[in-house]
Amino acid sequence: MRRGLPTPRPLTSAARAMSDGFGKAESGAQLLARLEGRSSLRNLEPYLFADEGFPIHGDVIEFHGPEGSGKTEMLYHLITRCILPKSGGGLEVEVMFIDTDYHFDVLRLVTILEHRLPQSTEETIKLCLGRLFLVNCNSSTQLLLTLYSLENMFCTRPSLCLLILDSISAFYWIDRSNGGESYNMQELNMKKCVKFLEKLVREHHLAVFATTQTIMQKSSSSAESSFSLKHQCEADVDYRPYLCKSWQQLVTHRIFFSKKCHSSNSKGFSIVSCHVKRNHVVKCSFSVAECGVQF
Amino acid sequence: MVILQAGLCPGLTAEMIQLLKANGIRTVVDFISSDLEEIAQKCSLSYKALVAVRRVLLAQFSAFPINGADLYEELKSSMAILSTGSKSLDKLLDSGLYTGEVLELMGAPGSGKTQVCLSMAASVSHSLKQNVLFIDSTGGFTASRLLQLVQSRTEEEEEQVVCSVGPVKLLVVDSVSAVVCPLLGGRQTDGLALMMQLARELKTLAREFGLATVVTNHVTRDSSSGHLKPALGRSWSFVPSTRVLLESSQGPLGKASTQCIASLRKSPRQPTGIQVELDIGGYEALEERPGASGEEL
Repeated sequence: MRRGLPTPRPLTSAARAMSDGFGKAESGAQLLARLEGRSSLRNLEPYLFADEGFPIHGDVIEFHGPEGSGKTEMLYHLITRCILPKSGGGLEVEVMFIDTDYHFDVLRLVTILEHRLPQSTEETIKLCLGRLFLVNCNSSTQLLLTLYSLENMFCTRPSLCLLILDSISAFYWIDRSNGGESYNMQELNMKKCVKFLEKLVREHHLAVFATTQTIMQKSSSSAESSFSLKHQCEADVDYRPYLCKSWQQLVTHRIFFSKKCHSSNSKGFSIVSCHVKRNHVVKCSFSVAECGVQF
Repeated sequence: MVILQAGLCPGLTAEMIQLLKANGIRTVVDFISSDLEEIAQKCSLSYKALVAVRRVLLAQFSAFPINGADLYEELKSSMAILSTGSKSLDKLLDSGLYTGEVLELMGAPGSGKTQVCLSMAASVSHSLKQNVLFIDSTGGFTASRLLQLVQSRTEEEEEQVVCSVGPVKLLVVDSVSAVVCPLLGGRQTDGLALMMQLARELKTLAREFGLATVVTNHVTRDSSSGHLKPALGRSWSFVPSTRVLLESSQGPLGKASTQCIASLRKSPRQPTGIQVELDIGGYEALEERPGASGEEL
């Protein structure tokens, strides 16, 4: 029973509640997994998060930065932290990776895994990779439909608690051109995606990481800059929001990546991590070596 | 925007479509995002039938997740690294051109981009015996130069002319900025959308067919820092996974030489900043002339 203790209620709404899952019965294990919360993402990466130190389920974290600033490398780092077995220092949880611009390089991921598990065999690497699921989408419509079809996977796999979207801004120009003159039509698909993403995150207690690309130059006009300065962290990074408003409102943490051109120390990349609601900022730097990200 | 039509999937009949249209459901997206219970009641259609249709439509139009281990197995057998024919360029690119990826050669006019492309094409088609598709948008492709390059690699005429039909392994587009630049600029976003569609096609071709793709691009100067950056703007800069800058080097006595310096600007697996020297005027593979730097011309 989905609602626990039976309470007197009209027959029709009870019937609706039972058939909400499109006629699928939820097993006891699935119910427990859903109610207890998914396996915790504790200690995923303390350097990245401005407060608590681990992403809580329901967090939507945006990685924003220009090209070559280390966003995809950071995603590989997070993926390895998730899929490594507990004995290897990982969290042993499953990850769903939605790749919208054919960016994902599984061989690079394997190189990083091999560095993290020095005595690994082919079998252990494949076992780790078995915890990663990859989907390629080539239009925003397909992205929306894929999110709908993935809902079933989230229901049936309680250890699948991390969803990565690289990148969610890949269809921006194509959508704008397809939508014609009205901004509403242009943003329609993205708004629907965000709405469904919000439902997935809420119902299945996921954490979402999404990358967005810096494709707009920061406006230097005074009107816009006074508006964007409401967040202290946005003042000194090259950030100009361009995706639809519903996405801006869904994001709980925003992490800005930048590459230091001629760095005096060895750390070539830096990040500024902001918690959107509490306006709490943390800065740190990292470098990228063959074994992946190093703080 | 796929419109619902009879026969789109089994179970989707013309009457069903008429009833759905009457309730405002025209496209596949409308159907999948709607509440089937409500639709079943409003259109008096069978709930089970609707659920079955929804399942089939989702399977048809959404992308299928693949497991990481399966992907790794697939890639191990299908991925290849094509040597460019030049040891120094191979060193820059971490042993050669990777299939499934896009390499961008950027440089000022006359810095040797077309020569490097021709040399790579000659090398791949002769030494590796793989088919090359060379798309020339600038008129810079000269058959006589290609003949010189191939003749330097083999004496036999038969080997030089061999025709083969088969899958292409290397795709060279020289240059991509020549066709896209006229579309950009102004406040219209159509040019940018077209450029991103092109980028998407190139990457899809590279991944699905296991091609190594090379594109050439111009350079502009960054207004704030004065550094050279690739043309076509920020949106394009995300597309290639590897980027090499070609600059022609000054020979001794200030004369222009046939040497050029290639530096690695972006790479998914190597640290950036590596530089090598290539000789683009010669007939052999792009090796540096021995003892070039101190010699008098």
